[in-house]
Amino acid sequence: MQKIDKVTVIGANGTMGQNIAAIFASFGNAEVYLVSRTKQKSILSKNKAYHSVRAESIVNKMIPVDFDELEECVNKSELIFEACKEDWDVKIDIHTKISDVLRKADKNDARKYICSGTSGLSITKLAELYPEKKRSNIVGMHFFNPPYNMTLCELVPTEYTDRSSFESLKEYATTILRRTVVEVKDSPAFLGNRIGFQFINEALQYAEKYKFNGGIDYIDAILGPFTGRAMSPLVTANFVGLDVHKAIVDNLYENTSDCAHDTFVLPEFVNGLVKSGKLGRKTKEGLYRTIIHDSGFKIRQVYDIEHGEYRETIKYIFPFVEEMIGDLKVGNYGKAFDVLTKNRSIEAEICCEFLLKYIVYSLVATELVGYDIHAADDVMATGFNWCPPLALLEAFGGVESFLGLCRERLRKNMIDQIDWNHLSRRIEKSNYDYRRFLRAKK
Amino acid sequence: MDKVYVLGGAQTDFERNWTKEGKNVIALLSEVIQDALDEIHVSYADIRKLNSENRVACFVGNFIAENYINQGHLGALLTEVSPAFYGVPSARYEAACASSSVALDAAITKIKTGDYDLAMVVGWELMKTVDSKVCGDILGRAAYYEKEGKDVSFPFPKLFGKLAGETIKKYRLDETRYMNSLAKISEINYENAKRNPKAQTRKWFMDYEQACHRDTETNSLIGERLSISDCSQVTDGAAVVFLASEKLVKEIGLDVTDIPIVKGYGHRTAPMLFDSKITESAENEYILPWTRQAVLDAYRRSNLSVEDIDVFETHDCFTSSEYVAISSFGITKPGHEYEAIENGRIAFYGDKPINPSGGLIGCGHPVGASGCRMFLDIFKQVSGKAGNYQVLLDETRLPRNGMMLNIGGTATTNYVFIVGRD
Repeated sequence: MQKIDKVTVIGANGTMGQNIAAIFASFGNAEVYLVSRTKQKSILSKNKAYHSVRAESIVNKMIPVDFDELEECVNKSELIFEACKEDWDVKIDIHTKISDVLRKADKNDARKYICSGTSGLSITKLAELYPEKKRSNIVGMHFFNPPYNMTLCELVPTEYTDRSSFESLKEYATTILRRTVVEVKDSPAFLGNRIGFQFINEALQYAEKYKFNGGIDYIDAILGPFTGRAMSPLVTANFVGLDVHKAIVDNLYENTSDCAHDTFVLPEFVNGLVKSGKLGRKTKEGLYRTIIHDSGFKIRQVYDIEHGEYRETIKYIFPFVEEMIGDLKVGNYGKAFDVLTKNRSIEAEICCEFLLKYIVYSLVATELVGYDIHAADDVMATGFNWCPPLALLEAFGGVESFLGLCRERLRKNMIDQIDWNHLSRRIEKSNYDYRRFLRAKK
Repeated sequence: MDKVYVLGGAQTDFERNWTKEGKNVIALLSEVIQDALDEIHVSYADIRKLNSENRVACFVGNFIAENYINQGHLGALLTEVSPAFYGVPSARYEAACASSSVALDAAITKIKTGDYDLAMVVGWELMKTVDSKVCGDILGRAAYYEKEGKDVSFPFPKLFGKLAGETIKKYRLDETRYMNSLAKISEINYENAKRNPKAQTRKWFMDYEQACHRDTETNSLIGERLSISDCSQVTDGAAVVFLASEKLVKEIGLDVTDIPIVKGYGHRTAPMLFDSKITESAENEYILPWTRQAVLDAYRRSNLSVEDIDVFETHDCFTSSEYVAISSFGITKPGHEYEAIENGRIAFYGDKPINPSGGLIGCGHPVGASGCRMFLDIFKQVSGKAGNYQVLLDETRLPRNGMMLNIGGTATTNYVFIVGRD
C-alpha cells in the first residue's frame, strides 16, 4: 500500500473540506495542508476541524495556507483532495492549477493521487483537464456528511485510472481511514445519491400529488423513522438544501434514463422555493421553518403547496403507523411488517409502495453504477443511515414475499420495465441487521 | 460435581442507543435471546419441552433498572419476551457492575449440581435513558452512596482517579510513565474495538497522542488525573450465554470434547469503602488483594496458572483498573505492570492479550451485561468464534484457556472465571 504522509485539501474552509481534512489528520495520521482563498479562512478551519473527530491531538498536524503556497503543498503531498464548490468553472480553475504544478514537477508524482470530492460531476472530464500521462491517478473520492459519522466513501475510477494504484488507494481508505469503501462507476451522482435522491424526489412529487391531504408533512408522516431512517425524507431534503437537491436530481434527469427517470423531475413548487431563496435550514426556511415566538416558544411550520404559504405542522395519526410503532417498540418486527402489508389505508399503501420501490430501484441502480449487489446496502447504511435495501427486503419476509408484494403493489409500467427473474437471482442475504434501522418513532 | 459446558450466546450491537430507536427492554431482550438461540441452534419449542421436565432455568444479571427504566422483578420480566418462559424458574442477580457474573455463578452451580440441564444467563442494562450526570449519580449506588456517592458529580471516575493516585504512591512510580501506560491501555482498547463488529467505539477516533492529551477540550479531566479517554462508555446492551450439562450436550448431538467448559471461578468481596480498601492493603504487596485472591482462587480451582491462560478479558471501567488487573492476573509482579504495557505483551498480538474485544473502554459497558459479555468473549476466543478479533497463538492455534475479571463497585465484588477446552 502506498504511504500517505502528506495530504493537501483544497477548499478546506468548506464544511466538507474541513471535516475531510480532519479524517486525513486523525485516522490517516497525515500532515494536512489546508488550502483556502485566504490564509485567515484556513486558520479558522484548522481551529474548527478537530471538533468533528473530537480530538485536539490532530490540531498540530494541520497547516493552514492559501493558494500562493499551493505549488509547494502539491509537490510535498502524496494525495491532493479537492473539496471546492460544485461548480464546473470553479473545478476547471482548481484542477488546471494542480495540473500546472504537476506539469512543472515531472518526477516522483507517478503515484500522487488527485482526488475530487465532487458529489456528481464527471471524474472523467476532470481527468481530461490533465495531460494524458498524468490522468492515471485521478479519482473521485466522495465522502458523505458528516464524514466522521457517515463512513461511506465512494471511490470512482475512470477509463484512464491505473488499476494497481487505484487498489492501493482503496486499501488506504479502507484500512487506514476506516471508510466503508464502495467502488462505483463514473455516472451522474454516483450510487448513494442516485438511490437516496430518487426516493426523496419522488416523496416531493407525492407531496405535490397529495397536497390536499397535507402535502409535505403528510408524506413525511407516512415515511418517517419507523420506515428505517433517522429523519423523514423531506426533512432530509430541507436539511441538505433544496438547491443541492435540485442540482442532483436535474443532473440525474438530464443524464440518465432508467426505470425511475420520471421520478427525477423536480416538482414545480420546489423550483419556486429555490427561486425565492427558500432553500431549507441554511436559509431558515424551505420545506419547513421554525418560528420563534416572542416568549421563546418555537412553532414548527411547513410549506403548504396549494396555498403557497407556511402553516403549522399537523400531528397526523394513522392507525397503521400507531400499530407499527407499538410493535417495533417491543422488537416485534415481523408483526410490524404484517401491519404494513395488510393495512389497506391509502397511507399504508403509499408507505409500502415506497419501500418496495426503494428496494427495487436500489438493485437496479447498483447494477448500473456499482459492481456488487451489496454496494447498495453499503451506500444506504453508511452514507444515509437508512435501512439498507437487502436488509429491508428481509424485513418484508424474504425474497418470495417481496416479489409477491411487488407484483401486487407496484404500478404496471414499473413492473414491465424490470426483468424480475434477473433481479431475483441477484438478491443475496444482507450483511446488515435491519432491526437497528427501524425506529419505533414517528 | 458435573462439568459445565458453554454452548455460546450473543450480544447486542453496543453501538445502538435503544432510547433513540424508541425501543424498550422487551425489544432488547427479545433480540438478544433470539440471536443467542439461533447461535446455539435451540428453539423456543425446545425451551418449552425442557421446561415441561423442569430442566431449564434463567438467570438475569442487571444492576439498577429500577433507576434507569423504573422496572424491577427482572427475572419474571422474561415472560413478556416469550410465552416459552412461562413456568421457567427465573430470577435477577445483582452485584453492581458484576451483576451478570453472579448470575453466571448461580447458573453454573445449578448445572453442576444437576438441578437443571440448560441455563440461560442474560445480563443487560439500558443506561441511555438519562443524561450523563444523572447516569453518573445512579452508578454512585455501586459505592457506599451516602459516604462516597451522594452530592458528588461523577463519583466513580473520582474513585478510580484515587486508585490511580494510590497506585503511583504505593509503588513509587514515575507519574509520567504511569500516565503514559494508562494512555497506552486506552489506545489498545480502542484499537481492539475496531476489529469487533459489535463494539460501541468501532468507528471512533482515538490514538495514543489524544489519550495523552489530558485536560483539554476534547479530553477533559473527569476524576483527578483521569480524563475522558481513561473511562469506559455509557452503553445500552445485553449479552446472553447458554450453559449446559453433559447430558444435554450429548442429547443435542454435540461432541463433549468440542465444547468449552467452565474450568474455575473466584469470588471475593473487598471492603465496600475505597478508603478502607487502601487502609487494609497498606501492608500487602497488592493494592487490591481481594482482586488478586479471586484470581488465585480461580487458578487453584482449575489447577491452572497464568502460564496456561492465552487470552484475558478484564474490567477496564477505567484505565487504572486494567492497570491493576495486569498484576492481579499474575502477568507481572505488582508495581511492574507498566512493563507488560510498554513491551506490548497485553496488546492484541502480545503473548498475554487483554481485551481483544475492546473491553469496557472500546466495546462498551452496559453495566449489568459486562460480566456476561466478557464470559461470552472468552468462550468465543477458545472456540474460534471471535471472527475478526480472534486471537491466535503463533498465528495458527486457538487459545486453550481464557480468563475474565469482572468487578463491581471499586473492585468490591471481584469475579473471575476461566473458560477453556479440555
